[in-house]
Amino acid sequence: MPRADGQGWLSVKARDGQSVLDRFRTRGALKMLFPVRTPRAEAILINTAGGLTGGDRLQLSVEVQAGAHLTMTTQAAERVYRAREDTARVTSDITVGAGAHLSWLPQELIVYEGGALDRRLAIDLDASASLLMVEPVIFGRRAMAETLRAGHLSDRIRVSRAGRPLYLDGTELHGDIAATLARRALGQGAGAMASLLYVAPDAGAHLDALRAALRAALPATGGASLLAPDTLALRCLAEDGFALRAALLPILDRLSRDTLPASWRL
Amino acid sequence: MTTDTDLLILAQWLSPAYPLGAFAWSQGLEMAVADGHVTDAATLRDWVADTLEHGAGRSDAILIRLGHACEADALARLNETALAFAPSQERRLEMTRQGTAFCKTTAATSRIDLPDMVLPVALGRAARLTGLDLDLTVALYLQSQVSNLVSAAQRLMALGQTEGQGVVAGLRPLCRTIAEATRGAGEDDLYSAAYLADIASMRHETLQPRLFQS
Repeated sequence: MPRADGQGWLSVKARDGQSVLDRFRTRGALKMLFPVRTPRAEAILINTAGGLTGGDRLQLSVEVQAGAHLTMTTQAAERVYRAREDTARVTSDITVGAGAHLSWLPQELIVYEGGALDRRLAIDLDASASLLMVEPVIFGRRAMAETLRAGHLSDRIRVSRAGRPLYLDGTELHGDIAATLARRALGQGAGAMASLLYVAPDAGAHLDALRAALRAALPATGGASLLAPDTLALRCLAEDGFALRAALLPILDRLSRDTLPASWRL
Repeated sequence: MTTDTDLLILAQWLSPAYPLGAFAWSQGLEMAVADGHVTDAATLRDWVADTLEHGAGRSDAILIRLGHACEADALARLNETALAFAPSQERRLEMTRQGTAFCKTTAATSRIDLPDMVLPVALGRAARLTGLDLDLTVALYLQSQVSNLVSAAQRLMALGQTEGQGVVAGLRPLCRTIAEATRGAGEDDLYSAAYLADIASMRHETLQPRLFQS
């Protein structure tokens, strides 16, 4: 696979009670699609290289202007293929303005045997902005009985509000990832993991429902907690990507008020 | 350089008798016992080793070092970073309450200026203001965390005193290793893979009945 390089810039604004594109530009392997969906804006990211391999670079820059509402997802799961040398790098920098909302709902990241990725996601919220964010990761292709004996995943999520740190999450898994994830306080053999964050004034009102959903789907491997009155974090592990998505769907339907992108349907 | 006085100060600050209320917190271990993840000395050792190496132990070690390196005007920001990295409400409370208690007692007894901060940041700051050896501070802190978890486990399950202290002794090399491995670490090195420990601390919020606040 050739080395891929892609950049995307997107800005969404509020106009007459709707969210519309203000500016957007893409270059190289990164493309965006915009299904018509008023009054909200939706953007679907496409990596035309069909996956990530060593040396690939994807850079995304997004602005959700005051009062606008944007949902971002990906057309497909992002596959991290075996890298002969060097790692793939993906960075996303997002600002969400006053009274604006971002739903950041990419499909799964799938790390293949030998895959190597450095990924950075930074979201800066205005004091009055709201956010729904999920990042699902699948370790190896279970359907092919693949276990990750060699891989590299360096992943950081930094969410700040009014310039101050609100939520930090970091993953650093190298080498025999399957053995690491087999450990007692880590994953006990889980093949998939998701981090979810919801920042909105009604966060507390969803806590019990989210816990009930986790109890039904992933009784011992899912947890939700209110980090602050308007900040809800959820973390779960599942046997594989299918079980993870099945657990996340009702939760995302609830938190997105049934505006989950069509690509998320099983 | 380590002096005998450094050791005496740290032995006081990190002793279970220092009034931090450490006995009330289990970092989710109570849930891990309830879920059957921890059932005896061997599984306790694995769980605690994992959290030291991949979870709160390692990240606290980094926060102590950052608190030590931090200038006074950047402490509030570092404290926010530490809280933003905490995985659950109870872990946030645990760090905050113990930190507040540590700052209050230490400011009064060591005559240093310690505004309220989460425990690891506050310990790093106090070590700096008191001129304590940093590697030693980190290693002793980690051992005090291990001790506290083992003591919590002894209240939660059948685990003899000797077996429990065997777990603490067995993890001594790991405390040293992590103290050394976190030298030079920065904010970007805050990451965790102790997913089940984080999830246990979230699930603990609804555990009934319970002995611990985390």
